[in-house]
Amino acid sequence: MFVKTIRILTKRYNEFDVITPQVEEIAAQSGIQNGLVTVLTKHTTTGITVNEALECLESDIETALSLFAPEDRPYSHARMLRDYGSTAGNPTGHLKALVTGNHCHFPLQDGKLVRGGAQDVYFCEFDGPAQRSILVIVEGSGQP
Amino acid sequence: MFIDIHVHPAFFEPINGDLAREELRHRELDIHKNGTAPLEHIFNQMACAGLDKLCLLPQDYTSTVGCALVDNEEIRRLVDLAPDRFIGFAGVDPADPVAPDRLEDAFSRLKLKGLKLHPGRQHFMPGDPRLEPIYQICERFDKPVLFHAGLSWEPDTFTQYCRPDAFEPVAAAHPGLRICLGHFGWPWVREAAMLMVKYPNVYADTGALYFDCAREFYAQTFTKDIPLTWIDRSLRHQVMFGSNNPRFEQIRMAQALGELGFRDSTLELIRGENAIAFLGGLD
Repeated sequence: MFVKTIRILTKRYNEFDVITPQVEEIAAQSGIQNGLVTVLTKHTTTGITVNEALECLESDIETALSLFAPEDRPYSHARMLRDYGSTAGNPTGHLKALVTGNHCHFPLQDGKLVRGGAQDVYFCEFDGPAQRSILVIVEGSGQP
Repeated sequence: MFIDIHVHPAFFEPINGDLAREELRHRELDIHKNGTAPLEHIFNQMACAGLDKLCLLPQDYTSTVGCALVDNEEIRRLVDLAPDRFIGFAGVDPADPVAPDRLEDAFSRLKLKGLKLHPGRQHFMPGDPRLEPIYQICERFDKPVLFHAGLSWEPDTFTQYCRPDAFEPVAAAHPGLRICLGHFGWPWVREAAMLMVKYPNVYADTGALYFDCAREFYAQTFTKDIPLTWIDRSLRHQVMFGSNNPRFEQIRMAQALGELGFRDSTLELIRGENAIAFLGGLD
């Protein structure tokens, strides 16, 4: 198993970052030819999703998620958290992450990700700006 | 100009790196799971909140913890890394016999812009005569004092030292000394308002978010606990935006402030002009 971390400093409250090139680069570095690539965010107010990398779709997805988890609802999570010693103001981030999920998989064949022509890997920030870490895990064999 | 008058930089990356010191800060501040923040991240947060400048506050608990959790030299170092964005305050522990000397040094050599004190953590009444030399130094240098007031989440704190009326002897005895009640003295916001309407040298910051979300808590505190009109009409020159970051939500608090319903001219005062007056200018 080959594991590497992608680190991102997000700049906005909600943002969508295409990380396909970084994922492909790490898959190539692994030397593994056939197997499975997993992309997994380490956070609970971020998501990993696969979609077509279009600005218009990013806007539509952000709008749809905002309708699902609007900022002005009275969320139970809005309170002081003793374990953190700080206020939890990010219930919408947790809920949006629930929709996107926290990981995706792609087959790896002959050292390359097998993905559809319109498929890109998105890292989704739902509580930024923040420092984020994403694991890329490559499993399989080195033989073609 | 939008200034956050109340920021604790204990977890800013440039003054961390020593894991034992970082762990001490987590434990003694009771702030966890937040990691350390590179300055680029701080600047990203400022951009999202619309903030131009942050006032960085040290935390000197020498007599109880054995050291300053964030000392004056570290504040100076941070300010030097971003002098256009950071304003540095000094900290001393009043129980430390060399506190007056340290304060003189912080104002004269380090050029820090004000003093932060925490009566609840440092265990003193604001009107205690042993504080007189410290207040006199602040007056001589024309530097303001930002006090913690009201509830403190930090360990080993006693709220009896932090009720707003405990600050009246200081406000009365030092009319030329600008003092700020941090956190608006929550939960005693009416008591804080009482002091402010009586003493024009008393300011308060909005760094309170102990329940609910920023929008809900600000609405409760600044439209119900005290009517919005008290600030908008009478105290508009004495309230400053403060977030108490990283304990509270700087971005959401900045947004919530703008949604309370103040006149635009009042918002301008709270967001920056009052802080500039409190600081005695930005130079």
